[in-house]
Amino acid sequence: MKILICRLALAATILVFSGLAWAGDHVFDAGFDDHTEGPHSDAEAARFLTQSTFGPTLGEISRLRAIGYNAWLADQVSQPASHEREYMENQEAAGLEVYQSARQEAWWQAAIAGPDQLRQRVAFALSELFVVSDQSGDGSGQPIAMGNYYDLLTDNAFGNYRSLLEQVTLNPIMGNYLSMFKNQKPDPDTNIRPDENYAREVMQLFSVGLVQLDANGTAVLAGGQPVPTYNQETIRGFAHVFTGWNWANCPRDNGGLWWEWEYCPSGPVEWPNPGWNASWFLPMEPWESYHASAEDKQLLNYPAASLPGGMLLGGGTAASDLGAALDNIFNHPNVGPFIARHLIKRLVSSNPSPAYIGRVAAVFANNGIGVRGDLGATIRAVLMDSEARQLPSLASNRGKLREPLLRQTHLWRAMDASANDGRFREWNADYYLGQAALRSPTVFNFFLPDYSPPGELYSLGLSAPEFQITTDTSVAGISNALDSKTFWYWRGNPWMDPEDVVIELDSELPFATDPVRLIDRYDLLFMSRTMSAAMFNTLVNYVQGMPNVDTEDRRERVQDAIWLIQTSSEYVIER
Amino acid sequence: MFTSFAGKLSLAHAAATSSRRLLGGDYRALVCVYLYGGNDGFNMLVPKSTAEYNQYATSRGALALPSASLLSLNPSVAPIGGASFGLNPAMPLLRGLFNQTQSPLAIAANVGPLLYPTTKAQYEAETVPVPKQLFSHSDQSVTWLQTQADALDRRGWGGRLADMFHTSNTNQQLSMNISIDGENVFQAGDDVVPYFVGEDGARGIDAVPVWRPDRRAAFIALRDAAHGNALQRQYATVVRRSMDNEVMVTEALDGESALSTAFPDTRLGRQLRMIARLINVRGSLQMQRQIFYVGLGGFDTHDNQLSDQADGLAELDAALAAFHAATVEMSVDNAVTTFTASEFGRTTSVNGDGTDHGWGSHHLIMGGAVNGRRIYGTPPNLTVEGPDDAGWGQVIPTTSVDQYAATIARWYGVPPGDMSTVFPNIGRFASADLGFMS
Repeated sequence: MKILICRLALAATILVFSGLAWAGDHVFDAGFDDHTEGPHSDAEAARFLTQSTFGPTLGEISRLRAIGYNAWLADQVSQPASHEREYMENQEAAGLEVYQSARQEAWWQAAIAGPDQLRQRVAFALSELFVVSDQSGDGSGQPIAMGNYYDLLTDNAFGNYRSLLEQVTLNPIMGNYLSMFKNQKPDPDTNIRPDENYAREVMQLFSVGLVQLDANGTAVLAGGQPVPTYNQETIRGFAHVFTGWNWANCPRDNGGLWWEWEYCPSGPVEWPNPGWNASWFLPMEPWESYHASAEDKQLLNYPAASLPGGMLLGGGTAASDLGAALDNIFNHPNVGPFIARHLIKRLVSSNPSPAYIGRVAAVFANNGIGVRGDLGATIRAVLMDSEARQLPSLASNRGKLREPLLRQTHLWRAMDASANDGRFREWNADYYLGQAALRSPTVFNFFLPDYSPPGELYSLGLSAPEFQITTDTSVAGISNALDSKTFWYWRGNPWMDPEDVVIELDSELPFATDPVRLIDRYDLLFMSRTMSAAMFNTLVNYVQGMPNVDTEDRRERVQDAIWLIQTSSEYVIER
Repeated sequence: MFTSFAGKLSLAHAAATSSRRLLGGDYRALVCVYLYGGNDGFNMLVPKSTAEYNQYATSRGALALPSASLLSLNPSVAPIGGASFGLNPAMPLLRGLFNQTQSPLAIAANVGPLLYPTTKAQYEAETVPVPKQLFSHSDQSVTWLQTQADALDRRGWGGRLADMFHTSNTNQQLSMNISIDGENVFQAGDDVVPYFVGEDGARGIDAVPVWRPDRRAAFIALRDAAHGNALQRQYATVVRRSMDNEVMVTEALDGESALSTAFPDTRLGRQLRMIARLINVRGSLQMQRQIFYVGLGGFDTHDNQLSDQADGLAELDAALAAFHAATVEMSVDNAVTTFTASEFGRTTSVNGDGTDHGWGSHHLIMGGAVNGRRIYGTPPNLTVEGPDDAGWGQVIPTTSVDQYAATIARWYGVPPGDMSTVFPNIGRFASADLGFMS
């Protein structure tokens, strides 16, 4: 139990005398126009923004309280997307060398300063579903095309899943990452058969998963065992579907001979001329002569499958087979609960109740006007569900471990970080955070959705995916990264270079003289006022014991408070 | 504040003595080298004799390595079937180890997860159960490392060994299982939770040094508070273990007398170098039984197989050879056994310039206690649609991972009566000992 009364009394006293603006909702509650849907307090607003953005700010908390969830969501959905490709092409036009570092920079720019916060946060969640990575494959040499792939996720964050799935499938970055690009029909003479890579992962990771799910995302059991969603025959069927796709605009002057297929360039001219890689930005195009048209293809078989027995009969074109196959995936009953579970785990909680997954999956199945796969409606259902909006009790073990990247974005947004020229040269966050956008070691993302660490969580049957990258070394590495971002990279530090991203602490200094107000401020900004009384008191007592003679002392009080919060178990587990 | 390291050890020692299992002052370590993505064992160990090479070459087409490029192996006993074999040309150092007298390198042929011995006829008739979700990366890596393909949990056989042996260690604070490559199923036990270090050793939390006692005390108070949520407790546990072990490991490594063996500056080379260093300071860490884990990615060669796999195998070759040399330098080569694992082999059929997810694959076992210069088990027929092909070139394993692991575990010290505790399915297979360990 928090000793709230005591804190309020103290805080109110100070407020009277200092005349400073203070973010205490308990003081301003009465002044806000209450929207029936909420938020009804600053704490609720901060908690919502923690789930829906890259971190709450005091300004955004106020704005959300002023307009309410519905208007905030409507505004966010209408925000145009911040695009990575555009950002990088502007750099290129300005004469800068553009590598994957520029793509990381574009990502940080949008995450910290983008007005389309919800869109960006959802895109990040989607990037951990439709995984590609600059850690392997030809895409690693194509930073702008990878940025363009990320833009695809951003643009479709509130679009339709079916359309997104097709755009992802035909994007050359994905085509290269999971080797659907130039996948060809069987050739018995040379013992060649279609590549199974994309066929397997599009089902296992992007859409239906390995086992049959009920409407609430719970595995269907037969004889005590989960029932597989598909088998090797299905993978072979899809492998045949995904044949015959090559660069857009391939010259086929000789009618599509093998060497035209094999040596088709990624653009109209050769490297390094402008345009040499133009086709990296265009959907792959079909070549019928390399498509496995003749074979019947076993696709997913499920009760409502429109293809009898899930069988796609031979004779289709590359495009018609692809369309039929993606429809076959899209309409599988697993997709709703599978996508619902992913989005809830990325945005809200590691262990949602089956009913919560079921409610979100129902919206995925039908957005209210009969449309299946509406991601905007699905996201709204994720965020506005009572299980998301209600603060769970500690004992329920609900909540999730914050992803390392989100801890740094949280700090930077809360503390208004920037460099003098507005750029975010955060090029290698994965070195110290173990995570960066589109930089997963494999298509299995940074962690598996059902990962449960050995020990108590495993015994309790709780999943905690982010613990898979929470090792003895990474907890120290992340704590040290936040250490340098807090104690070293602050505006005014004479040791910093103009291009360093630095947090703004001057506005915090007035609060440092009163530890209760300081900790209360950060309880709101960093923990949505979920801090325990014990933690609150520990921090207040500690800050109280620090010197308070000059500006430097006060800055250190602020820095210590922030760092101790951001490295604490109570903070790291977001509820 | 710190408890003194020596003090902690003596307390732990006193507590552990009563329950210590077997053994005197000897040392034994296992090193699991995980090849992520599914290493194509059939392109690592390739038949050279004409009939078998032709099967391989017909199946692999343009991806087949030329026979003349293979590094000939000279086994002391002909493998089952009598064929001759060569290693991938990217592996000259391991070829040298294999061919030498007193060889420390053996190869286990066509190993993979099975629930029961399985023939092609049984597989096609579905009369024998097979592991769930075959050919999926995430699932088959779990079944490989559990070595109990019908298990419902994510505990690995390295974890089960540690549950059995960890009380042997004088030092009861440092985990018996150390990973240089992060979380893995292999090392997860019921009692023993692996400890993670980086390629450069343990990492401390810089902002809470002993000379900042107040901040350190506040940090530890927040860490050690009575947390009401199990995820909070888990995070606190990781941080506590990280801080306690960091002091111990860093102190020990700082006092190391450096090895002269040079390691390649590669991902795997740096990881194995750290393991060699930890073994080098086993005395000051007071560890008698250890299990290590390292990993190397890039083996999921759906594309560009010839160049990509060669790169991976070359890295493996140089790093393993250096590691073996380091164990010789430390005179622990008879006490350290290194073995490969990988979720599956790859199809004998091809998809153009790569191969897809297979099932069985060949594996390497290295160390002074290894009966080297031999290929154990039954090399499969590599013909597409041949007698060992489950379909589309996915080769049915002729040896189960249970047998492969049990052979290593027997050397490590698991008594015959306990073997079925560590490997519950081992009784289903003809032999629990493939013979490659002394």
